[in-house]
Amino acid sequence: MCGIVGYIGFRPAAPVLFEGLKQLEYRGYDSYGIATHSNEIFIHKKKGKVSEFSPDETTLPGTCGIGHTRWATHGIPSDLNAHPHTDCNEQIAVVHNGIIENYAHLKRELRAKGHTFRSETDTEVIPHLLEDLNEGDLLKAIQKMVNYLEGSYAVLAISNDCNRLIAVKNRSPLVLGIGDGEFFAASDITPLLEYTNRVLYLEDGDIAEISVDGYEIYQGSTQVSRRVHEIQWAPETVQKGGFPHFMLKEIYEQPEVINRAIHSLTPDSIPRFLYDAKSMTVVACGSSYHAGLIFRYLAESACGIPVRVEFGSEFKYNSVPLTDVIIGISQSGETADTLSAIHKGNCSNVQTVAITNVLNSSITRYADNTILMQAGPEISVAATKSFTAQLGVLLQMISLLSGQVSDEFLSHAGVSIDKVFLLNLDDAVSLCAKAEHIFFVGRGPFYPVMMEGALKMKEISYIHAESYAAGEIKHGPFSLLSPETPVIATCLPGPAYAVMLGNLKEMKARGTPIIAIGSEEDTELSELADVLIPLEEKHIFLEIVAVTVILQLLAYHTAALLGREIDKPRNLAKSVTVE
Amino acid sequence: MSVQAVILAAGEGTRIRPLTQNRPKALIPVANRPILEHLVESLLACGIRDIIVVVGYRKEQVMRHLIHLPVEVRVVEQKYQLGTGHALICARDLITDDLLILPGDNYVDPSSLKEVLKIQNSMLITTHRHPSNFGVVHVEDGRVVGIIEKPVHANRMTVSCGVYYLEHTLLAGMTENMLSDAVNVLISQETSIKAVYAHEWQDAIYPWDLISMNERLLRNISPSYAGSISTSAVIEGHVSIGKGSVISPYCMIKGPVVIGEDCVIGPHVVINPGTSIASRVVIEPFTVIGNSLVMDDCTIASHSKIASAVLGEACTIGEHTVITAGTGFIEIGEEAVRSSCGVIMGNGVFSSPLVIYENTLIGNDCQINARNGLRLRSKVIPDRTRVM
Repeated sequence: MCGIVGYIGFRPAAPVLFEGLKQLEYRGYDSYGIATHSNEIFIHKKKGKVSEFSPDETTLPGTCGIGHTRWATHGIPSDLNAHPHTDCNEQIAVVHNGIIENYAHLKRELRAKGHTFRSETDTEVIPHLLEDLNEGDLLKAIQKMVNYLEGSYAVLAISNDCNRLIAVKNRSPLVLGIGDGEFFAASDITPLLEYTNRVLYLEDGDIAEISVDGYEIYQGSTQVSRRVHEIQWAPETVQKGGFPHFMLKEIYEQPEVINRAIHSLTPDSIPRFLYDAKSMTVVACGSSYHAGLIFRYLAESACGIPVRVEFGSEFKYNSVPLTDVIIGISQSGETADTLSAIHKGNCSNVQTVAITNVLNSSITRYADNTILMQAGPEISVAATKSFTAQLGVLLQMISLLSGQVSDEFLSHAGVSIDKVFLLNLDDAVSLCAKAEHIFFVGRGPFYPVMMEGALKMKEISYIHAESYAAGEIKHGPFSLLSPETPVIATCLPGPAYAVMLGNLKEMKARGTPIIAIGSEEDTELSELADVLIPLEEKHIFLEIVAVTVILQLLAYHTAALLGREIDKPRNLAKSVTVE
Repeated sequence: MSVQAVILAAGEGTRIRPLTQNRPKALIPVANRPILEHLVESLLACGIRDIIVVVGYRKEQVMRHLIHLPVEVRVVEQKYQLGTGHALICARDLITDDLLILPGDNYVDPSSLKEVLKIQNSMLITTHRHPSNFGVVHVEDGRVVGIIEKPVHANRMTVSCGVYYLEHTLLAGMTENMLSDAVNVLISQETSIKAVYAHEWQDAIYPWDLISMNERLLRNISPSYAGSISTSAVIEGHVSIGKGSVISPYCMIKGPVVIGEDCVIGPHVVINPGTSIASRVVIEPFTVIGNSLVMDDCTIASHSKIASAVLGEACTIGEHTVITAGTGFIEIGEEAVRSSCGVIMGNGVFSSPLVIYENTLIGNDCQINARNGLRLRSKVIPDRTRVM
C-alpha cells in the first residue's frame, strides 16, 4: 500500500504535494518523494516519514508535479528506492501505487536494450518502458505501455517535454479532483478536499491526460467520459472506516492479522540455526518486551532451552559474554535500543533474528535474518494488532521448533479473537473507569499477558495500572489493596488455577473488587468475582491470544468512557528512535 | 444529478439464525464474499460511488469488512433496530441527492438497478412463491397502489425487493419506522411510485435459502488458480482457488466452485458444483461435498458425503458423516416452516463420526457426540446444546 498525489494548476506544486502526502500517510510512511516540472524535471526524495518533512524541502519550482509516500514491497526503504522514479535521461518521472507482477521479466528485457536501473523497485520498469515506447507523445507511449503491464497499478507520470500530467489506473485506487484552473490526482479523496469537492473516479483501464486547460480520459485509445461527483463530507471518517478511533479499527483487524502472521513463518522460512540454538535472548521494548516474556514461558517448557528476555535499553549494561541467538522484536524496526542490542550481537559474532512489521527497516539491515509479521500499517500509538502479530509469529515459532505443539490449534487463533468480540465487557469497563489504581495479576504465561494489559490501560486511559505475578502481591503490594482498587485476574483452568483462586480469595477478603477472566462454568470463581469475563478455549496458545484481546478492549472502552484521546495519548510517540 | 445509495445493514436477520451470532445477515459470506460486497459490486457497475451504509447489529464486524471494499463508504449507526424506515432517517443528515435504497442482505443484479434508476420515484418488485414472507405489492398500470408487509394470506404474488429510488425531498417528512409504511403514506399523499420488475434478485429469508443464493452467485466468479494443485487432480468448469491452498492428488473438482486461502483438500476428495469453501478449511481424503457453503476454519474428516449444507465458522465434522438433502417442517420462532436442506450449522459445532443429518438446524457451539452414530432428521438443536 502506497499513497500518490499529483497536481497541475497555478499554485507552486511542491507544498500542495507535501500537504497531500501527509493526508495519505496512513497508506505508508517509510519514504517519500516528489517530482515537479518547470522546463525540466526536479526531484526530491528521501527515506523517512512525510509528516516530518521540513518546510525548506518544498522549494522545488513549477506548478505541475507528482508525489508519493511509500510502504515498501519491492526493495528496502531508502533514498534510492523512494519514488518518483525516472528513465535513463531523467526525462520522465513516475509515481506508482500497486505491484507490477511481471516486472522481473520486463526489467530483463529493458536491461538487454541498454536501460540502466538504479533502484530495486518494480516501479522503475515503468519510466524505462515509457522511454522505450516514447515517440514524442507521452500519452501515446502510455497507451501502448498498458498492454505490457500485468498487476495492479495507479500511476502518475510527467515528462520534460510538455506541461501535463498523465494518470493510469488498474486495480489500484485513483481519483481526480477538478478545481478552478487546477487539477489534482490522488489515491483517495482526502488530499483533494482542501481545494475542491468535485471529484472523478477513474475506472480500471482508464488513462487520463490532464493539462491546465482540462482533462481527457481514454480507455485504450477511445475517449470516454466519467461523471463528476460532488463530495460533501469529512475525510477522516473514511480512513477510520466508520470506527471512532484507529485503535478500535486495528483491534478489529486482528483476526486476519494473526492468521497472516502465523502463515508468515513456515517450516521452509524459519531460520535453520534456531533449531540448533542452545539458548536464546530476546531483546525488545514496550509491548514487544511482553511478547518476548510470553515467548519465554512457553518456549522454555516446549523447547527445553533457556530463554533470556531483556529490555533493549538495559541490554547494553549486561556484560555477560554472548553465545546464544539474539531475537530482536520491534514493530517499527527503528527502536533505537533494540537496534543497538542487535548491533551488540553482531559485534559478539552471534546469530541475530529480527521480528518486525516494516519491511527493510533499520533492524532488518542489522540482523542476519528477518521475520516479517505482516500486520500492515499501525496508526494508533498503543500497539494492538502488531502485538498480536508478534504473538502469532512467536507462537508459530514455538510450534515449529518444538515439533510437539500441533499448529492445528494455532490456525484457530482468528476464530478465538472473533469470539472475544462477542463478549459483553460493560460491567468490567464501568468498574475500571471509576478506579484510580488498577492491579493486573496472573500466573505463568498470563503474567506477561497481564503486564501488556496494564500497559494498554495506563497508556490510553491514564489510570494508574500495575501488573504483578499473583504470588508477588503478598510481598508488599498487598498493602495497597482496598475497596477502591479493582484487581483484574486471569484464573483459567490449568496448573496455576488452584493457587490463583486462593490468591483471589485473600484479595477479596480485603474488600477488593475483582474482575476475573475464567471459565464460564466455574461457579466458585463466578461467586467470588464481582465481574466474570467468560472464556472457553481448547489450548493455552488460544487462551493467551484471547485474554490479550479482552484486555485491549477493556482498556479501549475504559479510555473511551473517560473521553481520552485514544489514538495519540499525551507525551507518547509511536516509535522511539532515541535511546 | 448524482445518485446516492443507502444500504441498510443494521438488522440482525433473526430468521436466519444461527448464522448471525457474530455478524448481521448482510455479512454472511456467499460464494466466499459477504452478501453486502456482491451488492456493492452491482452498485459500482451502475456507476454509483457515493454509498452510505447503515450499521447497527454487530456494527464493528460490518465496518471491518467495509474497509476492504474497493470504494470508500460512509457509515451511519442505527442504535436501536426499529425498522428500515427508521434506519433511513438515521442516515438523513448525509443525504443530499436522489437516493437508491437497498437492503444490505439481498443481491440485485446491475441491470435491474439500471432499470430502476431510469424512473424517478420507483421501486423494484418481483414475484415469489412464498409472498407472505415479504412486503406484498399491489400494482395497477405500473403504479404501486399499496404495500402490505408480511400478510398472513397474500392475495397476489408480486413482492417488494426492498429497493427504492426516491427523490430526496420525499425524505423530509418521513417519520415511519417501516419503509413500506412510509411508502404507503407517500402514495396516500398522491406521490406516484412506479413499479419496475427485477431481472434478478436473491434474498435469503431462511438459512437454507443461502444454498441456492450461493449457487447463483457462484456463476459470477472468474476462474483463477493460486496455491499448489497436484497435476493428477482434475478440475472442470469455473473454479477459483485461493493462494496457499493445497489440492492433493486425485481430487475431482467440478465448477462452479470457489476455494479460499490456505485450505487443504486431501487426496481423492470430490467437490461437486455449487460449493463455496472459505479459508483455512481442511477436507480429509475420500470425502464428497457438493452444493454447500463451508465457512472459515472448518474441518471435514474423511469418508463423508455432504450435500446441501451450510457449515458455520470453525465446525468440525467427524468421519463417515452423511449430510443429505431432505424436506420437512421445522420450528423457527414460533412458526412451523417448510424447510429443505441437509444441515445448517452455526459456528463452532463439533460433530462426532457416523452422524446422519437431514433437514436439520444446529445452533452455535453445539456438541454432537454420538458414540454409536445418530440420525437427525427435521430437528432444531438450540445453541450450546450437548447431544450425547
